[in-house]
Amino acid sequence: MTLEFQETMRYVVLRLVVLVTASWMLTPLDAQAVDFDKQIAPILASHCLECHRGDEPEGGLSLTELALVKKGGDSGSAVVVGNAADSLLWERVSSDEMPPKHPLTNAEKQTLKQWLDEGATWGDVPLDLFSITTDSRAGRDWWSLQPLRNATPPASESDWGRNEIDKFVYANLVANTLKPSAEANKRVLIRRLSFDLIGLPPTPQEIATFLRDDSKDAYENLVQRLLDSPHYGERWGRHWLDVVHFGESNGFEYNQPRNNAWPYRNWVIDALNADMPYDEFVRHQIAGDILAPDAGGAIAVGCLVTGPHNTTKPSNDTMRKTMRQDEMEDLVGMVSQTFLGMTTNCARCHDHKFDPIPTQDYYSMASALAGVEFGERDVQLSKKAATKIAQARTNIETLRTELNALESRAREAAAARLDAAAKSRPGPLPFAAWNFDEDLRDHVGTMHVTLVGGAKREAAGLMLDGKGAFARTKSLAKPIAEKTLEAWVRVADLKQRGGGVISLQTTNGITFDAIVYGEREARRWMAGSEGFKRSESFGATDETEGEGLVHVAITYAADGTITGYRNGMPYGAAYKKSLQKYAGEKTELVFGLRHGTAAGGNRMFKGTIARARLYDRALTAAELEASAQSGGISIVSEQDLVAQLTPQQREHRASLNRQIQQSQQTLDRYKTSKLWTVTPIRAATVKVLNRGDVRNSGEVVSPRGLSSIQTIESDFGLAPDAADRDRRLKLAQWITNPNNPLFSRVIVNRVWHYHFGAGIVATPNDFGFNGGNPTHPQLLDWLAADLQANGWSLKHLHRLIVTSATYRQSSAMNAKAAALDAGNRLLWRKIPTRIEGEALRDSILSIAGKLDVTMGGKGYRDMREYKFKGSHFYDPIPQTQTEQFRRTIYRFSPRGAKRTMLDTFDCPDPSAVTPKRAETTTPLQSLSLMNNAFVLLMADAVATRLQTSNTDIDAQVRELFRLAYGREAESKDVRLATPFIEKHGLPAYCRVVFNSNELLYVR
Amino acid sequence: MSDSKPEFSRRELLGFGAYGLTGAALSSLVSGSANGGAHETHFEPKCKRVIHICLMGGMSHVDSFDYKPGLAKLHGKELQYEERPATFFNRIGLIRKNDWAFKQRGDSGLWVSDLFPHLATVADDLTVIKSMVADSANHTPATFQQNTGFQLNGFPVMGSWISYGLGAETEDLPAYVVLPDARGYPAGGTINWSNGFLPSVHQGVAFNSKGTPIPDLFPPESILPSTDIASRKLLAQMNQADLTRNGAEDGLLARIRSHELAARMQLTVPEVVEMADETEATQEMYGLNREETADFGKNCLLSRRLLEKGVRFVQIISGGSFGSPRINWDGHEDMMRNHNREAVRVDQPVAALIKDLKQRGMLKDTLVLFTTEFGRTPYTQAADGVLGTGRDHNMYGFSVAMAGAGLKPGMSYGETDELGWKAVEDRVHWHDFHATLLHLLGMDHERLTFYHNGIERRLTNVHGNVVSGVLT
Repeated sequence: MTLEFQETMRYVVLRLVVLVTASWMLTPLDAQAVDFDKQIAPILASHCLECHRGDEPEGGLSLTELALVKKGGDSGSAVVVGNAADSLLWERVSSDEMPPKHPLTNAEKQTLKQWLDEGATWGDVPLDLFSITTDSRAGRDWWSLQPLRNATPPASESDWGRNEIDKFVYANLVANTLKPSAEANKRVLIRRLSFDLIGLPPTPQEIATFLRDDSKDAYENLVQRLLDSPHYGERWGRHWLDVVHFGESNGFEYNQPRNNAWPYRNWVIDALNADMPYDEFVRHQIAGDILAPDAGGAIAVGCLVTGPHNTTKPSNDTMRKTMRQDEMEDLVGMVSQTFLGMTTNCARCHDHKFDPIPTQDYYSMASALAGVEFGERDVQLSKKAATKIAQARTNIETLRTELNALESRAREAAAARLDAAAKSRPGPLPFAAWNFDEDLRDHVGTMHVTLVGGAKREAAGLMLDGKGAFARTKSLAKPIAEKTLEAWVRVADLKQRGGGVISLQTTNGITFDAIVYGEREARRWMAGSEGFKRSESFGATDETEGEGLVHVAITYAADGTITGYRNGMPYGAAYKKSLQKYAGEKTELVFGLRHGTAAGGNRMFKGTIARARLYDRALTAAELEASAQSGGISIVSEQDLVAQLTPQQREHRASLNRQIQQSQQTLDRYKTSKLWTVTPIRAATVKVLNRGDVRNSGEVVSPRGLSSIQTIESDFGLAPDAADRDRRLKLAQWITNPNNPLFSRVIVNRVWHYHFGAGIVATPNDFGFNGGNPTHPQLLDWLAADLQANGWSLKHLHRLIVTSATYRQSSAMNAKAAALDAGNRLLWRKIPTRIEGEALRDSILSIAGKLDVTMGGKGYRDMREYKFKGSHFYDPIPQTQTEQFRRTIYRFSPRGAKRTMLDTFDCPDPSAVTPKRAETTTPLQSLSLMNNAFVLLMADAVATRLQTSNTDIDAQVRELFRLAYGREAESKDVRLATPFIEKHGLPAYCRVVFNSNELLYVR
Repeated sequence: MSDSKPEFSRRELLGFGAYGLTGAALSSLVSGSANGGAHETHFEPKCKRVIHICLMGGMSHVDSFDYKPGLAKLHGKELQYEERPATFFNRIGLIRKNDWAFKQRGDSGLWVSDLFPHLATVADDLTVIKSMVADSANHTPATFQQNTGFQLNGFPVMGSWISYGLGAETEDLPAYVVLPDARGYPAGGTINWSNGFLPSVHQGVAFNSKGTPIPDLFPPESILPSTDIASRKLLAQMNQADLTRNGAEDGLLARIRSHELAARMQLTVPEVVEMADETEATQEMYGLNREETADFGKNCLLSRRLLEKGVRFVQIISGGSFGSPRINWDGHEDMMRNHNREAVRVDQPVAALIKDLKQRGMLKDTLVLFTTEFGRTPYTQAADGVLGTGRDHNMYGFSVAMAGAGLKPGMSYGETDELGWKAVEDRVHWHDFHATLLHLLGMDHERLTFYHNGIERRLTNVHGNVVSGVLT
C-alpha cells in the first residue's frame, strides 16, 4: 500500500465518518418533512381519537382539529408549535402515560416528535375517527363498504373447471402451490347434493336412476330436480330461521308460547320454494304488511318479532324503558346483521369500537324500526274467506259513509237548534251522554248520575279522588251488546294503577266492560273485564306528562273485536274476544270505579272526567275521529235527529241500517285467525341515549340507514316523527337497494357458507373489522353481481355453486395440501361435514320409512306445555305419534325447552341469532343417539320395513346400506353384520347403523 | 367449528389433518379445544372448582347479612329520601325493622341474623359482600345478569364460561352440572344454564332429582346389556372400517372417542349419585334425614361428590318459578313466612357443605358462592303510609356470601346506606363479581373471550374490576 493511497484512504474514511455523523445529526432537518395525512393522522386515529373527540372528550382534550389541540384540555394546551419538548402532548406520549395501556412504538413516537418540532401542520379537514381504516378499526374505506368491483374471472390455461367460480378458485389454489382434488364419484355426489339441497338422504331408487343416467346433463338434471323439490324450502328455510332466531315463545320469566307464529315459518319455506327474488324476500320481511296489505304481508313481517320479548313489566318507568331499549338492540342487531353483515347493535352505548358506525347511526336504525311492537293481529288465512271479509268491510264502510252523509245535515240542524253556540262538527249519536262540566244529567236518555263517596262535580267535570269517590247511573233502558265507551278524561297521577274511568257493569258489580287505566300495564289504557276475560294489551304507547284532557274510547264490535282509540286515533292493535251481552234493567254505568258495588282496592280512578258517552254500537274509526274532534260538545238525540228527516229519508236511513246489519253478520260468519306478527305502534321520536342510558337522552335522530355506506343515500328524507309505515318502507328500500354493496355480498356469502361449511368471509353476520377478510374477494363480488344480474334468484346461485367443479371435488384427505392449508380455506377439496341435528332426525325418519312429508300448517309438538306459577314450561314427551314424524323444521320451538337429542347435536336455542352453527362431538351426543327412545323406536321401524321386503339377513343388510349410506354393502360388511343380527336381532343392528359415522357424515 | 375468525387457528396450524393425532389431542377434541375451549389459566389460580348456590327470587339482605340498626329505630316511619325509590310494584310502604335478630358470630364477629342459624356457625369461613348492585329489579333479567352479565336471553352463563375457559378435570362427567330445585325449574327453564353462543359442550347438564340423572344415560330395559355391549363393539368395528374405507378426519376420530367416554359416563354417573357410601353422620349433617332439608341437602352432598370426581362447576338452585303460592325467595307478601320457609331448606345443608369441604381439605381450592339476583327494600311493599309484612325488589344494594380459596374469611366488604337501600361504599356490580370469580380461577376476565357476531364477547361485557378487597 503506497503512502499516497494510505493518505487517500484516511481522507475517505474521515470524510465518511464526518458525513455519517453529520447525516445522522441532521436527519430531522434534511429528511423529508412529516406528511400529516399519511403519517400523523393514522397515529392519532388509531391511538388517540377513540377518547379524544366529540363533545365530551376525555380530559377535555379533542385531537380532531389543530385549534382544539392548541386550546388543549383540562391540563392546558396540548402543543407548543415547533417545540415537541415543551408540548404536553409529547410529555404524555413519551412517558407512555398516553395512550393508556398501549403505548406508541418508538418509530411512531419519533414521527410525532418530528411533526411537533416541524410546526405541527394540520390537514384540510378535521380528523374523523371513521374516515380511514387503521390498525385498530375499520373506516369508511373498509372493503365491504365499497361498491362491488367489476370482477372478471381470471384467465386460466388449465382445462380444470366447469364455470366461472372455478376460475377464481383455481387461480387462488395455483398461487398457493395447491391443486384441486379430483371429482367425487357419483354416489358421493348424489348423497352430498341431496343433504345439501333438501336435507334428506337420496332414496335407493333415486341413486339407481342417477347412476344409470349417462347423459351429459345427468348431474345438472339432478340439481334441478332437487331445487324443484318442495323439500328444498324446508332445508334452506331452516338455515334462514337460525339467522333470524325464529322462536315460538317469549323467553324471560313468563315464556308464554306463541301459538300463532308458525305461519312465518311456512311463509319462508314457500317463498324459498317459489324462488322469490331475494330483494323482494327481504322487503317483505321488513315491510310486508305495508307492501302487501293481505295476510301474506303481515305474516312475512313476523321476521321482526321472532326474538325474545319480556312481558313482565315493572311499574317503574326507567326499568320499562330499558326493557324496550334492550328489545330494540336485539331487533336492530338482527336486522343489520342478517341483511347487512353489520353489528350495528354494538353502537348502542358508544360509537362502534371497530366499525365506522357512530351511536347516531344505531339510533337512526332504531328509529326506522321504532314502530315495531310484538303482538297478535287478526288475519284471514283462507283466501275465499278473506275476500268475503274484505267485501263486507268495504260494504259497511260505504254504507256508513252514506248514512253519515244523510244524518250529518239533519244532525247539524238539530244541534244548531239545541245549542246555538256549537261550532264544532257534531259527533255521532250516542245512547247516553254526560257533560259533567255542566251537570249530572244524561243528555240523551234517562241514565242520570248519582255521586258516591265524596265525588264532586265542578266546572272541570266529575272530580274523583282515587279513594272512595265514584258515580253511578240509573239502569239501562234496553239490553246492550255491541257498544262504544267514550270519555274525555284528565289523569291526575300517571303512575296510578287499576282505576276505572267508565264501566258498564251488572249491578252486582261482577260482569263488566270498562275503560281502565294502568291496571296490567302502567301508563296504558286497557279494556277491563272480569278476570281479564275480554282484556288484552293493545300494545300501545304510554301516557306521558303534560297531556291534559285525553279522549279515550273502546269499541266492542258484534264479532267480538275490541278496538281502543285515543284522541280519535286507533290505540295500538285491536283484538278479538267473545262479545258480552248485558240485560237492560240489571245493568248500570259507573264512573271512577273499575267495577263493584262499593269503593276499595286498586279499582278507584284518580282524576277528572269532563264528558262521557255510551253508544249501542261500535263506532267506526272515522266516527271516533269526528267525535274526538267535536269534543263531545253537541249532543243530538235520536228523537231530535229523526225530527229533522223527511219520511223518505227516514225510510232510506232504516234501509241503510239493515244493510249494515247484514254485512256485520257476514263478518261474523267468516272467522279470522290470530297471527303473531308486528302490531305497529305509533313510532316514537327517537333520541340518542348517551351511554345507552334511558335517563340521559341527547339529540333527536331521524329514521335513516348507516352513514358509512356511501354508495347510497342513507337519509330517508323523513321527519323524526314520521309514521311507522314510512319508516319501515324506506328502510326496506334502503337495505335492498342494488347499490348497497353489503346486501348482495352478505347473501351470496351466506349461501356459500352453507354449501362449503365456511363462507368466503368466515363470519356470515360480520363484514366489519372483527369479521373475516374474504379468502376470494373477487369471487365474492362476482357472485354478488351475478345474483343481481339474474334477478336475485337464489336458486340460480345454488345451481351455479353446486355445478362448479369446486363443489364437485372429492373430500379425500391430501396430507400435503393439509400441511399448507389445514382449514381448506382455499378449497383444495370438499370438506366432509357432520349432518345437523334436524337432518339427522329427518334422515332417521326417512330411512325408517316413517317420515310424514306433509308440508305447512301448524307443525308438531314433542313437548308438554304447562303453566306453573305464571311461567310456562315445555317438557319433552315421547315421539311416538305419526303426526310427530314430520320434518324437524315443523317442530314447535319455544325458548328454553329441553330437546334431548337436538340440543346435543348443536341445534341452537332461538334466544340468540345463529349465523353459523357449532359442530361439537360429545359423550352426551353419543348417549342420546344410542339410547333415545325415538331412535330405538325408529330402529324397530326400519327393521320391520326391511323384514317386510326381504326375508334373508343378507338382503336386509344390503337394503339398509342403500337406505342409510347410499351404497352397496360389500361382502365384508355383510360378514360383520350377520352374526350380530343372528344373535341380537335386526333392530339392534339398525340402532348401530343410526349411530355410525358413515351415516352421520356427508363426504 | 364455532363462529371464529378466519385466521388459521392453532388447530389448523398444527395441521391435525389426517393421522397425526395423539391421545391427548384426541381427548381434547371431545371435551375441549376442538369444541371451542380455551383451556388455559392466565395466572396461578387460587381455586379450581366452584359450587354456586343460586337463590331465586331475591333474598333480603337486611334480614340476613346486612345489619341495619337504623331500621328498628325508624320502624313504622316514612322514608325520608329525596328521590322516590324505583321498585317493581312501585308501592312504597313504611320502613320495617329486620324480622330476624342479628348477632355477631364466631371469632370474626361477622354479623349473621337468626334467619341462618347454621350458616352462622361457619361465619368465620364466610366472605360477605354487602355492597352488591344490579341493573334490573325484574327477576328474570336480573337473574340473567347474575349468571351471564347481560339482562337478555341468549348469553352464556358463568358455568359455561368456566367450562369453556378451564374445561373439566374429568372426561367421565360434564364440566358444568346443574341441580335444580326439586319443586320445579326456575322461570325461563333451561335458558338459566344456557351455553348461549358457546359450543354446546359447555351447556349446563341438569341432573334430574328423580329417575335417571341424565336423560338417555342408559338404553331402556328392552335392550339387553349383552346386546348393548355387543352393539358398541360392532359400532367401533364399523367406524374403523369406515376410516379404512374413506379416510380419517378429526371429527370421525373424535366421535369414536366420544363413544368410549359415553361408556365411562355410564359408570361414573350412577356411582356419583349413589349416596349409600356416605356415613350416616355425613347424611345427617346435610339434613338428609329431615323432610324440610332432605332435597337441598342431597343436592349439597351430591355437589361435593361431583367436585370430587372432577366436575368444574356445580350450580345448586334454591327456588322455582314465580307466582303464588311462592316456592322461592320472593317475599312480597310476608317476609317471615316466606324466608323462614326457604331458609330452613338451605341453611343446614349449606353450612354442612362448607364444613364438609373444609374437613376434607377441599375448601383450599374450592369456591362456594351463595348469591341472589337482588335484595329487598328496607320499607314494606304496601300502600303509601302503610306498614306491610312483605318487601319489594331492591337492585341498589344487596348481599352475597362466598367461602373458600383465595378469599379473606370472616369479613364483610362494602356498605349500604343506613337503611340498607343503596350500596354507598365499595360498590360491587355483577361485572366486578364475575371479574373476581374468574380471577380466583386464574383467568383474566378481559382475556377470556369468544368471538360472536362482531365482538370478542366476555362474561364481563366491557366492564368489571377485580374486587381485591376480598382477596387474600
